[in-house]
Amino acid sequence: MVEKQNAISLGVPKDDFLGHVRRSLGRDQPLETAPVHLPLTENFADLEVRAKAATERLETIRGELVDRFEETARVRNWNVFRTSSVEESIGYMADLAGRLGISKAARADQPVFAELAVDSALQNTGIELFVAAHDESTSDLRVRQQIIESGLGITGADYAVAETGSVVVLPRKGLSRLVSLVPPVHLAIVRAKDLVESIDDVFLFRRLEYLHKGGDMGSYLNFITGPSRTADIEMKLVVGVHGPREVHLVLLA
Amino acid sequence: MAEVKTRDFVSASDAAMRDASLRRALRQVGGGFNEARLEAIEEVSWETWEEWREVARRTKIHALENLDYYLEMLHDRVTAAGGHVHFARDAAQANAIVAEIARSRSVKIATKSKSMVSEELDLNHTLDANGVEVYETDLGEYIIQLAGETPSHLVAPALHKTKEQVSELFHQKLGVPLTDDIEEMARVARQVLREKFLSADLGISGANFLVAETGTLVIITNEGNGRLCTSAPRIHIGITGMEKVIPSLQDLAVFLRLLPRSATGQRLTSYVSMVTGPRRNDDEDGPEEFHLVLVDNGRSRLLADPELREALYCIRCGACLNICPVYGKIGGHAYGWVYPGPIGAIVSPTLVGLKEAKDLPHASSLCGACREVCPIRINIPRMLLHLRHRLAESPLETENATTTGERQAAQAYSWLMSNPAALSAAAKVGRLAQKPFVSGGKVSKRVPLPLVSRWTGGRDLPAMPRQTFREIWAQGLESEAEIRE
Amino acid sequence: MTQRDEVHASLFVTCIVDQLYPQVGVSAVRVLRRHGVVVDFPEDQTCCGQPLYNSGFTQKARQLATRVLDSFSLSDYVVVPSGSCAAMLKVFYLELFAGESGLQERAAELADKVYEFSEFLVKVLDVEDVGSRFPAKATFHSGCHLLREMEVQQEPLSLLEQVEGLEVAPLPQPDNCCGFGGTFSVKYPHISQGMMDDKVSNVLSTGANFLVSCDMSCLMHIGGGLSRQGHQVEIRHIAEVLEGLPDEGGQSLG
Repeated sequence: MVEKQNAISLGVPKDDFLGHVRRSLGRDQPLETAPVHLPLTENFADLEVRAKAATERLETIRGELVDRFEETARVRNWNVFRTSSVEESIGYMADLAGRLGISKAARADQPVFAELAVDSALQNTGIELFVAAHDESTSDLRVRQQIIESGLGITGADYAVAETGSVVVLPRKGLSRLVSLVPPVHLAIVRAKDLVESIDDVFLFRRLEYLHKGGDMGSYLNFITGPSRTADIEMKLVVGVHGPREVHLVLLA
Repeated sequence: MAEVKTRDFVSASDAAMRDASLRRALRQVGGGFNEARLEAIEEVSWETWEEWREVARRTKIHALENLDYYLEMLHDRVTAAGGHVHFARDAAQANAIVAEIARSRSVKIATKSKSMVSEELDLNHTLDANGVEVYETDLGEYIIQLAGETPSHLVAPALHKTKEQVSELFHQKLGVPLTDDIEEMARVARQVLREKFLSADLGISGANFLVAETGTLVIITNEGNGRLCTSAPRIHIGITGMEKVIPSLQDLAVFLRLLPRSATGQRLTSYVSMVTGPRRNDDEDGPEEFHLVLVDNGRSRLLADPELREALYCIRCGACLNICPVYGKIGGHAYGWVYPGPIGAIVSPTLVGLKEAKDLPHASSLCGACREVCPIRINIPRMLLHLRHRLAESPLETENATTTGERQAAQAYSWLMSNPAALSAAAKVGRLAQKPFVSGGKVSKRVPLPLVSRWTGGRDLPAMPRQTFREIWAQGLESEAEIRE
Repeated sequence: MTQRDEVHASLFVTCIVDQLYPQVGVSAVRVLRRHGVVVDFPEDQTCCGQPLYNSGFTQKARQLATRVLDSFSLSDYVVVPSGSCAAMLKVFYLELFAGESGLQERAAELADKVYEFSEFLVKVLDVEDVGSRFPAKATFHSGCHLLREMEVQQEPLSLLEQVEGLEVAPLPQPDNCCGFGGTFSVKYPHISQGMMDDKVSNVLSTGANFLVSCDMSCLMHIGGGLSRQGHQVEIRHIAEVLEGLPDEGGQSLG
């Protein structure tokens, strides 16, 4: 947990503001008991039962989930490379780096890279690979600068959602917010075990974890669903405004 | 607060109707967004869609009924995550809060992702006045900021601009060569704004949803500018209307399904970003400070009014604009304030004053298409009728805008229709009086009566027939031999 | 029709048909009689109050609506040759009288009895084929209230399909409002006519000689535009088409 700053509040005091809201609702006093709303008030034990059932469900349909995720991800303009071979995965990344003609790539520092020795493979193609994470020797600005100079950002996935073709990342230690965002090309590595069926699954698991951790969500969560897009000029689709123009998935399953 | 031009509705809509490039742009929007929306719904089936709408509506009803409770929870959870929450009663207060944060933290450059609330507050103006350089970073918003204009659509703010106009604008303001290549224009914006993102001290975003339980701000974007605004600068301020709060993380899913499909026909936007407090100590990056500014600015009036509360259920998808045949003709600017289209015709009068915006509730043929497409099933026509009622019959001087002419016309009509004998007599008089104007069974000349002339300006009117139906009935139809099989 | 108890129905002819298009009322009565309906016409009826209601004059609309409740209190069915006026009686009276005890119940009773003309033929009389002929090419415009308030979509089209000699060309963008909107058409004629122009283009694109609808208000508006712009397309209420032409000569119209 972050070192607590003292919370400041400008504007009207909270109680005045809430009092006004309350009067607008026709009440003088705060509610005496919490309002009943199942998605919020469901008890912890029930939630755990549901999460367990969800995990079991996902286990039984894992194979089918991989197919569905591959399909929806393609629709959302991910370039999907599906393989069960670690060597082929690494080969795909090296080929991609070569094709892009880049001199520098950045990757996150996540457990998945212990399974995939991508660093040496990329370095062998003459690319400078930078692990976008702090240690004593790197400053914030240096990490950021390295990411900015990278032609490719590589991350793992905390979840991958079959319903939407999304990769979910939870930026934290080892996973910069910028590495999947700032370089013009993003590659995400998704393993079968990362897959969930729907966005409901993601929120169920996150909510359970939030409650387990005594109320810490982590600072950031991102659903990434294809490349950066805009259609703000004459409704014409353009990819790669602000975020990556090209996104790749190595689906290791 | 943003400048209010709702009084100019008639002249502004008339000018819009004559703007050929606007007409072309509006046709593209209507076609494109609506088709995509239908496709996206059919993909999941209408039955599923209706279930989602029902869940979302129930969630909004519940959240608003208990808004004080959920705002308090939101406040506590954001604070627990290390963020700061500020409450603003009105636009001036909200602007002052942001200005004070910027001042006390020596902010020089701010980048913004799209936020309709900040448009409502005219926040950029305040930041300018306080010496902060502020850059809109959504491509559409950036274009209209350069042009000194306001958004004309909730989702596609610059849809009224042609690529030629954008190219000319970039040429003048940024000194780049003219081009007709839209990709090139996007590339220029990326290049200019990338540098701003990396030098900004402050990132400002709106919020599509606020999750009370976890103290999380959710933004839904396609370009990635929202991610940059909430990740790169050292301070992040989220500023939004107080009605955006939903209870639980698990409530969010259905809204993530409804909003992109309704807005652009996407299954999900490219990015959904969820911010909970500032960066944690061992995070790689992210803002050191997170502020959430919650704005009332007239929303409590909607909340307090049982006839209008459901306007606060709106998730700003823009589907009602895209389907609205009136919006499709006149575009967004004619509505004269930040929120255009059918939902704007309800929200704007409530936020800027009903009399000030008295033309807006009438800017609808009441065709009902908006209600049909609304993902939260907001009954917009019903609320338009309610506002019309207040304009016509409210005992309050601040709301009643009936002119003597309108009152007399309504009085005369109501008297005539309450007296069948008088109606018959009037028909006889009408048949004689119309003679100078009738040829070939129709009135095609301008008739010098105020209401009739507004019809005959562009349409013929049928001549009154020799007999009314009631005369035909009495004179033989009633007793006409019944034909039976 | 098979032998059964006679169906009694009251005609709410609507003020626009009474005053401007009486032949529509005549056709409606004849088609209903042809299917064995005993038709009555409460002669104290006038307007449903929609123009006042839509202009915000709710109190005044309530006065007219109360008259309608009185006029039709004894009817078995109320048949309305207009989707829009039918919606006023069936849907909007419930809102108009919401919370007013006595009147609220009477409005609900009325709502149960109200049918738009083509809806009545199909849903109450089970008519599939009215047995008329109308040799022409037509296109059909569905009014917004018929579509979205009355939720009547297929009924008029299925009846028209059975009319001998009638070719019904589908109208592009069939769900789009024509821009009439009652007082809207005179409050903002520029917008109303802009919407009308789109509808006129769509009608012309079908090559039809007749534009048919369940609502004379829309037809007055679109037809007024067609006529002003010099197009030869004629307007007909669905009742007129279903009454058909006498079976002689056999030559095509238009």
